[in-house]
Order: sequence, then structure tokens, then C-alpha cells
Amino acid sequence: MFITKKHIPRRSFLRGVGATLALPLLDAMVPARTLLAQTAANPQRRLGFVYFPNGAVMDQWIPAQSGSNIQLSPILKCLEPYQKQVVVVGNLARAGTTIGDHAVAAAGWLTGVYAKQTEAQDVLAGVTIDQIVAKQIGQDTPFPSLEVATEDFTGFVGGCTPGFSCAYMDTISWATPTTPLPMEINPRVVFERMFGRPGTAEQRRQRMKRNKSVLDSIADDASALQRDLGARDRARLTEYLEYVREIERRIQRTEAQNSTSVTTIDAPLGIPEVFEEHVALMFDLLAAAYQADITRVFTFMMSREASQRTYPQVDVDEPHHTISHHGNDPEKMARNARINIFHAQQFGKFVEKLHKTPDGDGSLLDHSLVFYGAGMGNGNAHATDPLPLVAVGGGVGTGNRHILPAPRTPVGNLWVDIAHKFGAPIDSLGASTGRLEL
Amino acid sequence: MRAIVCVVASAMVLVLGAAPAVRTQTPAMDARPVLTQYCFTCHNDRLKTGGLSLEALDLAKIGDSPDVWEKVVRRLRTGAMPPPSARRPDQATYDRLTGWLEKELDSHAAAHPNPGRPAVHRLNRAEYANAIRDLLDLDVNVASLLPPDDSAFGFDNVADVLGVSPVLLERYLNAADEISALAVGDPDTSPGSESYHVRHDLSQDQHVEGLPLGTVGGTIVRHNFPLDATYVIQVKLLRTNLNAIRGMEWEQQLEISVDGQRVHLAPIGGRADLLLLGRNPTTGSDEIDTRLQVRVPIKAGPRSVGVTFVQRSPALGTVRLQPYLRSSADTFEQTGRPHVQTVNILGPYEVTGPGDTPSRRRIFTCRPAGARDEACARTILSTLARRAYRRPLAKGEIEPIMAFFEAGRREGTFDTGIQLALQRILATPKFVFRIEQDPTDAAPGAVYRVSDLELASRLSFFLWSSIPDDELLTVASQGRLKNPQVLDQQVRRMLADPRSRALVSNFAGQWLQVRNLRSMAPNSNEFPDFDDNLRQAFRQETEMFFESIMREDRNVVDLLTADYTFLNERLAVHYGIPGVRGDQFRRVTLTDDARKGLLGKGSILLVTSHADRTSPVVRGKWILENLLGTPPPPPPQAVPPLKENEEGNKPLTMRAKMEEHRANPVCASCHKVMDPIGFTLENFDAVGAWRARDAGEPIDASGQFVDGTTVDGVVTLRHALLKRPDVFVRTMTQKMLTYALGRGVEDYDMPAVRAIVRDSSKQDYRFSSLVLGIVNSAPFQMRMKATDAAVVASK
Repeated sequence: MFITKKHIPRRSFLRGVGATLALPLLDAMVPARTLLAQTAANPQRRLGFVYFPNGAVMDQWIPAQSGSNIQLSPILKCLEPYQKQVVVVGNLARAGTTIGDHAVAAAGWLTGVYAKQTEAQDVLAGVTIDQIVAKQIGQDTPFPSLEVATEDFTGFVGGCTPGFSCAYMDTISWATPTTPLPMEINPRVVFERMFGRPGTAEQRRQRMKRNKSVLDSIADDASALQRDLGARDRARLTEYLEYVREIERRIQRTEAQNSTSVTTIDAPLGIPEVFEEHVALMFDLLAAAYQADITRVFTFMMSREASQRTYPQVDVDEPHHTISHHGNDPEKMARNARINIFHAQQFGKFVEKLHKTPDGDGSLLDHSLVFYGAGMGNGNAHATDPLPLVAVGGGVGTGNRHILPAPRTPVGNLWVDIAHKFGAPIDSLGASTGRLEL
Repeated sequence: MRAIVCVVASAMVLVLGAAPAVRTQTPAMDARPVLTQYCFTCHNDRLKTGGLSLEALDLAKIGDSPDVWEKVVRRLRTGAMPPPSARRPDQATYDRLTGWLEKELDSHAAAHPNPGRPAVHRLNRAEYANAIRDLLDLDVNVASLLPPDDSAFGFDNVADVLGVSPVLLERYLNAADEISALAVGDPDTSPGSESYHVRHDLSQDQHVEGLPLGTVGGTIVRHNFPLDATYVIQVKLLRTNLNAIRGMEWEQQLEISVDGQRVHLAPIGGRADLLLLGRNPTTGSDEIDTRLQVRVPIKAGPRSVGVTFVQRSPALGTVRLQPYLRSSADTFEQTGRPHVQTVNILGPYEVTGPGDTPSRRRIFTCRPAGARDEACARTILSTLARRAYRRPLAKGEIEPIMAFFEAGRREGTFDTGIQLALQRILATPKFVFRIEQDPTDAAPGAVYRVSDLELASRLSFFLWSSIPDDELLTVASQGRLKNPQVLDQQVRRMLADPRSRALVSNFAGQWLQVRNLRSMAPNSNEFPDFDDNLRQAFRQETEMFFESIMREDRNVVDLLTADYTFLNERLAVHYGIPGVRGDQFRRVTLTDDARKGLLGKGSILLVTSHADRTSPVVRGKWILENLLGTPPPPPPQAVPPLKENEEGNKPLTMRAKMEEHRANPVCASCHKVMDPIGFTLENFDAVGAWRARDAGEPIDASGQFVDGTTVDGVVTLRHALLKRPDVFVRTMTQKMLTYALGRGVEDYDMPAVRAIVRDSSKQDYRFSSLVLGIVNSAPFQMRMKATDAAVVASK
């Protein structure tokens, strides 16, 4: 075990083999017809979701008072410098029961549904709010949305919540009720997706052109293959064709971004060995993606549900999942809380980075709305409520508040409001019963 | 009381005149009294024990409810039902009843054949990598190219869960681009980087196989150099958690070599370096690392890059005290040995040419007479396409590919044209998906034999996880695969071929969960001796063991009983087996009964444990699921945590901690089956070492098998398993069939499974008989046309 009590090893970057980070000239390039064309400083410009697993010690999360001018709780203390852009939302509940614990927590957070109990291929959850918003505001950016994570257990056979497919815990973002979206854990791959393989701008343009013609050609192949197939197989190839079109559009959008290169970002070498490094690197990439308008919507699963990671850097030698089942022992709850605080601090560094990055007439933070939370409350009981959730950024409107709706308000109610705020109004999401305004 | 209920129940049945339709055979009449006497007492409409009622089912129509009766048969065959506590029939009655039930199910299946219908199958990571290897003679790092696959039924090649998404599609596109550039040797390749990490818990105090004798520790990596060019190799050494490089006390030399040739020798360690680290560990360490890089011209192709330390004389021993086997155990410890942590390879710089690589040799079967030699291009691309699409090309099918060749050639050279055309071949769904097309003339729902070419693909992906080779393709194109002798010959050839190692890595790797080893991280306070050398050794042992059963065509039951295994010194020391020296694996005869077979394998014992303790529950479940084929149902909600060792109280043994499982009746119903099996393995600790005590008490490994047999340890457990070897063989067959078909095995497949096991028993359950049984089965050779198949008018 690597006990990093004193020092976080320096990140290793590849010097001189980076990519040119293209910052779009906003006034020239934002297509006139989009909803957000009018004001670059529109607070509802960017959306993000950061997820942590195994719930939290709720009495250290929930601020004592509700309303305005609140005192932040121990876990959220690190957000104090940005308190004016912080809103804590309480009394939210995920749908269903505690059966399915970790699987339904991950699958229920952004969908508002109670995922279907199955270990086979017929997984069923719901569309996640990030994808709904991405369809609306993500069409002008190379990536409608980005899904990233840090722990990869997808090769792990038979190790997930009994009765529930591992697919539920591998992601928090779903494109359709039956399509979980894979989350990328390798920062280098994320980098290459965003900035292409290392090379000059000219090489990248050439590569894009080639990819486009390849895509066109294989679309014909796919159509031809659909003959003599059963409905289910045909549907799969149709899906495939849609994605081909989707990628073509993405390439077109990237080509259209006629921009001057402003800064250089170094290419990460791979997956860092140290958790904090890995998390920090992902956050850096997400901030860069925001800054370069590569995407306006992201989901980041900071650690996986039922994660067994240990945190010796905050003196917790038991695996996270194990300590989250503290049995209400005060000593153990204290250790659990230390992990919660540690995670929140990693998120806090991201908030700081967004705050420090200028964007138009303010900062990236001013023009974003990022949620930090979990799919379960008290981890010991896999509680469905109250869920820990905090919203940060200019998008919260008036900050420094603690909202307390009626107990057991479905989390989908909040997402319905978010959908409205980002110009993609929906009537309901999952088990929602109304609209909870942020 | 029970007897009266029984009599009344059967009397009622007769009185109500619900007499089953009388068939010409008598068995239907024989079964009812047996079922009434032993089963209906609990599984009746009123009690519905275990959610199952049998009494109202029509015994003349067993075949109509395979979902119920297959479950019954499974439970009867393992002896789990009736439960050990209830009254049970004698063995003869058991056999008669199960025999009759199976016969009914089998004859129903024969009259209503359903070979199933695997979905469109996207190549998963392993299959993609192997396909590239066989197509282009190129080993690619597929983990960095493609996202991980989802699995179902315990395997990652189940077609239904191998979905598509925009991200995935993008990755395949990108992969086609990168692979075609790498394979052909694109001179425009920009410098990139590849990082090879060494796990922190790898002990580097021994010679590493593949590195020169006279060196200690380090690592050897196989890297694909894309072009003849200059590359930079950088090394980073392991640091303590105060960020100082370990092991700098004495002067050492680090050697970097390529294909055994030394390219760099760097001095590290000694007084000056220690002072450097003392002043500022971080900058000092970084400065030392800058000495560990070299810029060197290297020719294109796959090469071994070795990074290691020159061994100093034992008289100059650097390690005075090493309490644990793991050489990097104490993360604060700055003395001791230096360890390699990362090797980065950057480049290509200053490219001189595409070089002569295995992939170029594979692709360029002819050289063009001039830049415009279309004929040569056509030959090259048709060969590649035929292999990639796994069938002969249709008329005109090569033309779109040729168009890409033309475009590339115009932009650059002949080679550029081939590269672009290859990218097009790799990106098409014809390569990435395995598609089986229904014959147009068959009615919806009809059962038909898949074509020879489709069968060839099924065969090669089953046995090699890869595309068919030229011989198989030719035989299939000529329609000769239909011939049973030819098929038999091809299967045997493919099993003997080295590519069948895929069965070890992919089938055994997932069935026996060997793949999970890489995620297991035993608590280093509890198990300070555990290192990555042991983890790798566990994997190697189980894989070699399985491979020996396969290659020697042994009885598969030997997987449980074999009196040999494969060990190296590290593993032998761990198991307490004397007399094994050196790093290489060799076959060792086992004299200790407890270690024989899968149940004594470290890999299985490790993946069924937690980080800091054993888990009889997980072990019991593993055996139920993977050896007996009867997995337990999922647990209920709100399971409270285990009792911990409380301060001041005597520490509890694992058995004592799990008392709750038995005390609480809600838990007991499942745990009384799982736990007793797991307890018999308690002599193996969480990392598979033998122990006689737990928490100060001698281990009590007594338990009970599913059929009630009392067992008292791993040896008697094995004997209990072997009482019904056909159950184990049936479970293995089921797993293998899932893997072979790429879909879950359903109730309607069980008759085929039984037939395979029956035939195999006549051949001593040899491995090849299982494989051939699967290949010759209806689900493998046939398919059902979609019932909703509409005829899509071709454009």
C-alpha cells in the first residue's frame, strides 16, 4: 500500500508532445441560431455532475439551518470561499427501495428511476438529465457530452450487487433507458478524444477528412447488411448507422471551429497510479474541455459504487465500502466522514480551478452549474433519502442557501427544473412528481 | 402429521379425477407417488416453499414447463433436494425419477427444436486484438484503443450486451486509423508516447526472466516501434511516500537494453545521490531520473525493451534486513533495493523509413511494379478483405476499397493507398460485427443449419477468439465443413493449434475468474508477504493447469482431482512445498492431498476472499455457481454487517462471526447451504496459504455438502463433489456452451447439454469430447429464423 502522508508525487507529463488547445473566438463562431448565442455570459451555459459512492455521513453533510446565509457543514467546508455560488439541496430521495443498493444508487441518481432488477442483458433504467440537456445545448460543440470516471472494474466477473447487472454500476449516464454510456477512465484517451492524436493542426485536419470519408463509405456497408436480419438485429445496425451520422456531425463541427491557438496543454501519459492525481487530472481535462468549448456537459464518476479503495492519506485503512457500513459506531463514522471530506476537497479544487479560469466577462465558474452528490444517503443503510447534493456555480442564481423541500421529494423533480433552465423542458423524469426550483 | 397430509393430498388428486392423461408408457404413473411422497409436502399450492409449487403441474406435459422442471432436475442431480433434513428416497429412486424427467424434457425438445438465435455480435476487445494479430501479424494494446466490454452470464463475449454507442464507434474508427498507420508504417506518424507501469507491489529482488543473467529486478516490456526512427526511452524509479527514490544508498547501475542489446548504462546511488535526495527529495529524485533516459535509433517492429539493475556481488549486499518477502513492503523505507516504476517510450523522431516489420511482410504479398500497379494493390486488398470479412468477396465488393486506395495513392505513395484502404477495411461493420443472415427462403421461426462460412466463424471465435485462418476459410468456402469427418478434423487441428490458448485466457480466465486476480489487493498489513510476483504466479499456475488438461486431452474431472500442478519457487514457498527452486514454472507432483485440483489453487482462493479475511460465503457461492451450476438467490435488503472483534473480548473465529447466519431464520435458508461449503476451505487463508489456526483457535473446517454429506475439510469436500462427477461436467459444459454461443444457456438448451455430457461420459469426459460435443450440437450448428423477420426489400 502506498501511504502518501506527506507528499503527492508530481504529475508526469509528456513535454513538448502536446496538442494545441484551440480556444474559439466566441463572438465570431457561435452560430447565430443557438439559444445561447445572445450572451456569452449566460449563467446557464455549462452543466456538470460529479458523483461519489457509498453515500455520506449525513449529519456531517446537512447544514444545520435552512434558508439563506447558511453555515457550511464539515464535509462541505472546503466550498466556503465560493459560498455565494453554493446551494445545498436537501430532502431529496431516489426512487424505489434499498434492494439493489449500490446498483440502483448509481443508476437512479441522474435518471430518477428505480432500475430494473436483472443480471442479464435486459438492463433498464432511464435517460439521464445530462443527456437530455446535452441534446439541447451540446449540438454546437464537438462533444455533446463527456463521461469520465476513475475506477475500472468492468472486467470484473460476478462482483456486483446481487441480482443486478454490473452495467448499472459502471456508469451514471444513460443515453436511452437501455443504453448505458461507457465512462472513460484513461486520461490519455480522454485527451486524445478531445484534442486528437498528437500532431500538427494540419495533420489533425487531414485525419478528420479521412475519417469522414471512411464513415460515409461504411454507412453504405451497414445499410446493405440490414437485409435478411430479424427486427432486433436490424435495430442494432440502425442504431449503429445513427451513431455514424452523429460522429460525422461531430467532425463537421470541429472542422467549422476556425480558431486561433492560444495555449498548449500537455498530453497525459496514461492512468496515474495515485488516486488524487488521477482525479485531479480528470478535473483538469474537464476544465480544459469547458474552456475550449469542447463540451458543455459532463458527468464524472469520481469513484465507483461499492468501491473498496482505502484512504491512508486520511488515516483510513479500511476499504471505503467496508467503512461505509459503520453500524453507527462513532469511531467508524468519523473515519467514513474523513473520506467524505477528502472527496469533497478534490471537488473543491475543481471549483477553484473553474473560479480562476477567465471566461468572457467573468470566470468559468460564473457560467457553469455543477452538481456534486451521491445516489444514496446514509451509506450504512443504503438509504434512499435524504441524498447528499450540492450545486455550485453561477448557475445556482442566488447562492448561500440550503433548500429544504418536503421530505422524500423525488430527485427527478430537481432534474425537471434543470431541464427547463437549460432550454430542454420536460414534464417529468423517472419517478418525479413535480418541479423543484433551484 | 406430514404422512397424513401426503395421503390426503394424493387421495384428493385421485378423487378429484385430475388423473394425468394416461400414456402408453407407465413412467407417468411411477413419478406421481414419488413426487407426492418427497416433494409435494412443501412444494404444493398452499405452502409454495421456495416460491415453487409442483402439485398442479400436468405430469404428462413435462416438456411444456421446462423452466420449472429443469430447475427441479438440477436440484435433484446435485442431491440438494429434498433437503438433507427431510425424508429422502434411495439412490435408485432418485436416478429413476431424474432419468424420467430428463427423458421427458429431451423428447419434448426433440419434437420442438429450438437452437436459439445469437444476436449480431460485435467483436469484443480480446477478439478484436486477436483478429488484428492474425490479420496483420501485429500485436496492439487493445486496452488503450477500445473501452472495456460489459459482461453477462459471466462472460464478456455475450452478443446481447456487446452494445454500440457513439463513443464505441469513435473508438473503432480511431483504432482503424491507428492500426492501419502502424501496420503499414505511416512515415507521417507524429511522436507519441507509451507508458509501461510496474505494479508497486512487485518484488524486484530476483532475476527477471527474459533479462540478462547477472541482473536483478526491473522489467521487460514488448513494444511496437512503428518506424525506423529515433526513440527516447525514459525510466522512472520507485519512490517512497516522502517522494525520495528508494535504494540509493549504494552505487548501482541501471541498464536499458533493446532486444538484449545494451543501449544505456546509468550510474545511480551512492553518497552524492543520497545527499541530493537529502537536500530536496522531489527535485533530487527528478534529477536522478534524468540520467535514466536515452535517445537511440531503433528499427521498426516489435522489440523487447529491458530495464534492470546490474547485480552487485552478494558480498556487497544492500539489504540488511528484509522482514517480508515483498521487497517494497515498507513505503517509508528509503534503503533497500531500487525498483523500476515506469518505462516511457517516446517517438518516433527523425524518421528514416517504414522499416521491415512483420506486419509489412504480411500485408505486402507483392511489391508494385510502379506506383500505379493496380493489380498488385487489388491482390493485397482482396486477400486482406477476404480474411477480415471471413468470407469470399462478392462481385464488385472490392471496388469501394479500391477507391480508397486510389485516393491514398494520389495523396502520397502506393503504401499510403494501401494504408487508407486498410483503414477502410478495418472500420467497416463487416469486420467489426459477426452477422449471420437468415436464408430468404425459410419461413419465420424455422430452424436451419447455418452456412459453412458462418460455422467457420463460430468455430474460430469459439476456439481461438479470432478470425478463421486460410485453411478453415478455404474448407468452408468449398462447402466441405458440412462433412462430419472434415469438421472433426478441423476442430482437432484448431485445438492443437497454439491459438487455442485463447480458451485458457478467455474461457478459463472468466469461468474460474482468473481475470479478477488483477483487481485483488490483499491488505498489506495482514499479508505483508503478498506481492505481485505471487499474484502473477497464481494466474500462471491456474492457466497452465487448465491448459494441461486441454492439451493432454485429459478427463475434465481431473480439474478437481489432478495430483500435479505447476509451480515456481515463489509459489512453492507460499504453498509450503519444498524443493522447488528458480523462477521458471515446472510441473510438480503434489503429495499433499489438500492442494490437489482447483480447490487448492491460490488464484481461486484469493478471488473468493476479501482484502483482509476469508469469506466462506463467497467461497460457498463460488462452488455452488461454478462447479455445481446451482447459484443461490440474491440476498434480501438491509443485510447488517458482520460482528467485528470487539475491544477487550476474545477475538472471534470466522465461524463464530457467522453464527448470525444460522441464528436468523431469514438468513439461514440460503446460508445453511452456502456457509458449510465455504467453511471446509477455512484452512486456506485469504491469500491461499495453509493455516491451522484462526484468531488463536484451531481451524474447525467441518461442514456439510449440498446433499447432506458431512465433510470436514477440503479433501472430503472434494470427495463429496466427486460422488456426482456428471454434475461438474454438466456445469462446465453449460459454461463452455455459453462461451461458444455468445448467449446465455436457456432451459430449452439443457437437453443439448445433457446429450453432450452423456456422449462425453462414453469417452471418459475428455476435454476434446466436450468441445466436439458442443460443436456438433444443434445450438451451435443451427439457428432459428426470426419470427418477426420481415423481408427488407434490397435497395
